[in-house]
Amino acid sequence: MYNKGNNMTFKVKALGMAAAAVAMIAAGAVQANKADGVLNAAFTKELENVDSYFNSSREGVVLQRAIWDGLIYRDPATNEYKGNLATSWEWIDDTTLEFKLREGVTFHNGEPFNADDVVYTVNFVADESNGVKTQRNVNWMKSAEKIDDYTVRIHLKAAFPAAIEFLSGPVSMYPNEYYAKVGPSGMGLEPVGTGPYKVSKVVPGSHFVLEKNENYHDSPKGQPEIAKVDIRTIPDVNTQIAELFSGSLDLIWQTPADQAEKLSTMEQFTVANESTMRIGYLTLDAAGRTGEDNPFTKLKVRQAVAHAIDREALVGALLKGKSKVVSSACFPSQFGCEQDLTSYEYDPEKAKALLAEAGYPDGFSTDFYAYRDRDYAEAIASFLNAVGIDTNFNMLQYSALRELRMKEGTPVSFQTWGSYSINDTSAITSQFFKFGSLDDARDEEVRDWLNVADSATDPEVRKENYSKALKKIADQAYWVPMFSYNTNYVYTKEIDYTPTPDEVLRFTTMSWN
Amino acid sequence: MSDATTNMTPDPMLEAIVGPTPGQMLRKRIFGHQGLMIGVVVLSILVLVAIFAPLLAPHDPYAQSLMARMKPPVFLGGTWEHPLGTDHLGRDYLSRLIYGARVSLLIGLVAATISGVIGTAMGVAAGYFGGKVDAVVTYLINVRLAMPVVLVALAVVAILGGSLQVVIVVLGLLLWDRFAVVMRSSTLQVRGREYVAAAKAVGCSTPRVLMSEIMPNIANNLIVVMTLEMAHAILLEAALSFLGLGVQPPTPSWGLMVSEGKNMMLFEPWMVLIPGAVLFVLVLAINLMGDGLRDVTAPENRS
Amino acid sequence: MLNFILKRLGLAVLVAFTVSFISFSLMFLSGDPAAALAGETASDQDVEAIRVLYGFDRPMLVQYWDWLSSALVGDLGESYYFKLPVASLIAERLQVTMLLGLCGISFALLTAVPLGVAAAIRPNSIIDRVALFLSVAGQAMPSFWFGLILIVVFSIQFGILPPSGTSTWRHFIMPTIVLGYYAMPAIMRLTRAGMLEVLSSDYIRTARAKGASEFKVLFKHALRNAIIPVVSLAAVQMGFMLGGSIVVESIFALHGAGYLAWESIARNDLPTVQALILVFSLFYIVFTFLSDVLNAWLDPRMRAG
Repeated sequence: MYNKGNNMTFKVKALGMAAAAVAMIAAGAVQANKADGVLNAAFTKELENVDSYFNSSREGVVLQRAIWDGLIYRDPATNEYKGNLATSWEWIDDTTLEFKLREGVTFHNGEPFNADDVVYTVNFVADESNGVKTQRNVNWMKSAEKIDDYTVRIHLKAAFPAAIEFLSGPVSMYPNEYYAKVGPSGMGLEPVGTGPYKVSKVVPGSHFVLEKNENYHDSPKGQPEIAKVDIRTIPDVNTQIAELFSGSLDLIWQTPADQAEKLSTMEQFTVANESTMRIGYLTLDAAGRTGEDNPFTKLKVRQAVAHAIDREALVGALLKGKSKVVSSACFPSQFGCEQDLTSYEYDPEKAKALLAEAGYPDGFSTDFYAYRDRDYAEAIASFLNAVGIDTNFNMLQYSALRELRMKEGTPVSFQTWGSYSINDTSAITSQFFKFGSLDDARDEEVRDWLNVADSATDPEVRKENYSKALKKIADQAYWVPMFSYNTNYVYTKEIDYTPTPDEVLRFTTMSWN
Repeated sequence: MSDATTNMTPDPMLEAIVGPTPGQMLRKRIFGHQGLMIGVVVLSILVLVAIFAPLLAPHDPYAQSLMARMKPPVFLGGTWEHPLGTDHLGRDYLSRLIYGARVSLLIGLVAATISGVIGTAMGVAAGYFGGKVDAVVTYLINVRLAMPVVLVALAVVAILGGSLQVVIVVLGLLLWDRFAVVMRSSTLQVRGREYVAAAKAVGCSTPRVLMSEIMPNIANNLIVVMTLEMAHAILLEAALSFLGLGVQPPTPSWGLMVSEGKNMMLFEPWMVLIPGAVLFVLVLAINLMGDGLRDVTAPENRS
Repeated sequence: MLNFILKRLGLAVLVAFTVSFISFSLMFLSGDPAAALAGETASDQDVEAIRVLYGFDRPMLVQYWDWLSSALVGDLGESYYFKLPVASLIAERLQVTMLLGLCGISFALLTAVPLGVAAAIRPNSIIDRVALFLSVAGQAMPSFWFGLILIVVFSIQFGILPPSGTSTWRHFIMPTIVLGYYAMPAIMRLTRAGMLEVLSSDYIRTARAKGASEFKVLFKHALRNAIIPVVSLAAVQMGFMLGGSIVVESIFALHGAGYLAWESIARNDLPTVQALILVFSLFYIVFTFLSDVLNAWLDPRMRAG
């Protein structure tokens, strides 16, 4: 049946296919290891835009720290502020900061760094109409002014002691000419900064390749050692681990506790755990927003909820690592986060008794909402079921739950808050107890104390007022604080790295063993 | 009526007179059909398990024990306390599987019923009335087929929030297309038969013709499609739950169990294998039954 | 023929418009898009500013009209999440999905057609039973479960195939099998039924009577006739598969359009979800239209219906 012609075509086709296959292997071959200096890492979430002013995720912060620099740098180990793109700074008055800039720094595209870049960047991000995603990071700045090529002043809208913290964190400097030309979406596709790594490839959301900046200035971040970092977005944790096994990944992070525990028993991997500032809590509808007769308006019911949940078991069995049970409505290390207050021990019998005293001897049923960490939320709901509070479990998307809470409130929902990693109680308690749309307590006394604490300049006055507010929140059980979160970092023994407690991967401090 | 029998018997008239009655023939075909029998037996067992779940389950399927998480099944070194081990919150796996049968069967049955009602109404109307009604129904079927089911179901469940009711209704509203297509062509075939013309001639009302002449004669096909769509709905619910947008925890859904077990797949593969296998068996049984019913009611047409 | 094509085309266009309206209104019912856009760290003012900026305060029909008129010229809006044009985002992701779809349908055809033919040649033989079993099992196999099993076996146990990604052809093997297996049963059954029917036709009897070799009878005469409906079924299945690849892509972390759809739903990225529903529907509509035309061209009897 095969005549000569057919046979020829067949051969040509086969050859073509073989060639294509070889080409695909060659093009796609990603080899991970020390030998060729490529570190392969994985992100779990798709990053929307590499431009750090236009994303709000951890992945974005990781890339921001690698690609760009801020004027100031905070040493994650000592918390000391050091000059980065600025060599020195001083407060001219309460709302004016003056910087001397580092000379001889160039952006990855060759553009020299000077005062014009700082002025352009600050004026761009401070302008609300440009739509920087996290306004809180930049909306305290009014404008910037060039004094000479290497001296700039930043004008603040009002006194803002945390300015230095923000300038060493989310506010990084962009090249004025390039940014004016390409804008945020162009910057997201071909990022240009002064940082220790330059970007050689961006596939939006899925693939980022960083290469060592050979001309990196003498920065307190240190000089990069790893020549190339190849980051792929792999949403599934199993897949990440499978690739770690097969050697096509060297580093993963945010690995769930159970898997991390298994991996830590394997000799080829290092599993490091660090705490984060995020805490998980239940917020109860004490103000009666979902209905005047809602059971959670009764103090005894709220206390019963607090007694019903075995927080030690949640931390011990589910979160593990450096997580801790928390009892205040803030993260313990935050300034003003009072620890000496009412804490409710696990006591289901007492919870049932309290419910009976409140008029619910047979319990009641309620909607229970959550938006992340389904297993934690499910375990919490199960503890409530056990004392007779029959929960109708609802897992919503973040935005849907937020809208519901803003408009109608929820009887009980499991929430978490990371305080933007700001080490001050104002970043959490004051966000939720000052009659905003997410305030389920609506307690005037608490609000007034928080107002005093937020605006006072005397640390003692602040502390005292936060303490009063937090004690009342605990006594009234407006929130039932649960636990602090932690992050796992898993990497091969070829990598030398010590994670920091601020949940940022720093490639500059990594090296090959 | 059937090619298979006419092939064997040269004279169907004679066969009808001297051979077994049609009822006997049908019974013989049913009991002689292996796939059908396997399907019916397995499905019956699963239905009984679902009905008697409270008696059969060794534990409360919702009772959590954080200190006894992810205990292995007895054949992997576990204890008889939890024959199939425990899940990520320390709940008894066997009990959750048993109660999960209720969820899957309920979803399959109710969703297929909803879509059956919608699809049959549309298909019969299109086939019987023809003309403009047919054109509209054909257009609706095309619209429905053009919509990617998984994607639309995911989007709707995401919007409305997942719950058993929402999933059932969404699937019910999405899976009527095959009913409509099959019922339309079945009705077209039946419409021309003498008994329909006779009923019309003696002045029966349209609803009466539809209910007493058309429906009984297309019921075979309806049942076949019904079983297949039940299986379809059960698989889709599992897929939605697997993607995190199906029924809500702590409801014991097999798809949800696979999804929860997936996290530990590399270390505890049984957590994925067990619920997936049960799901596979249930859907297989329903499909075998559906295929078998089609074979015995219309033996000439196995595709 | 032209008449038939025009009629089909009219229906296809009408269906496309209806689907576009449904997908738009579905998304419009969703939670507050402004809150989704603003993200977790936004304040109430941020959310309100975004609501006005994007025009979510306008009536729905006005928004639909805006969306449709730009969609007609290929502008599907801007992704809320990526802040990039949806059209280019989807175009990029579709490459993976199309490649996967093509591999999947080829796999399905290459396994299903030979099996179907073999089963039809010897009905009730072992081959027929195996083929039947494979197809029944294929219909009952939850694809997410099948995918996970393949990963456990081939990536973890044997370590011979990469579990995720798209960088080499080897990455496509498991997704292809999972996706292809989904389409296989229907194709196999149709091939078998078609072959059985053709083989018992007068025309084949004539060919046999004329002394044509069995091979020639099977492949030249029978398969050529039986394959026509299979090809058009494959086209329709291809349309289904593109929409159904969402599960497969999420398991194997293929950054295709299906995965984009899943993620976009979770992120409330309305323009992307709307556009994806529309694009997947259009694929189905186009494939169905082509298969109708193909059928009518090959089989004039079809033109009437």
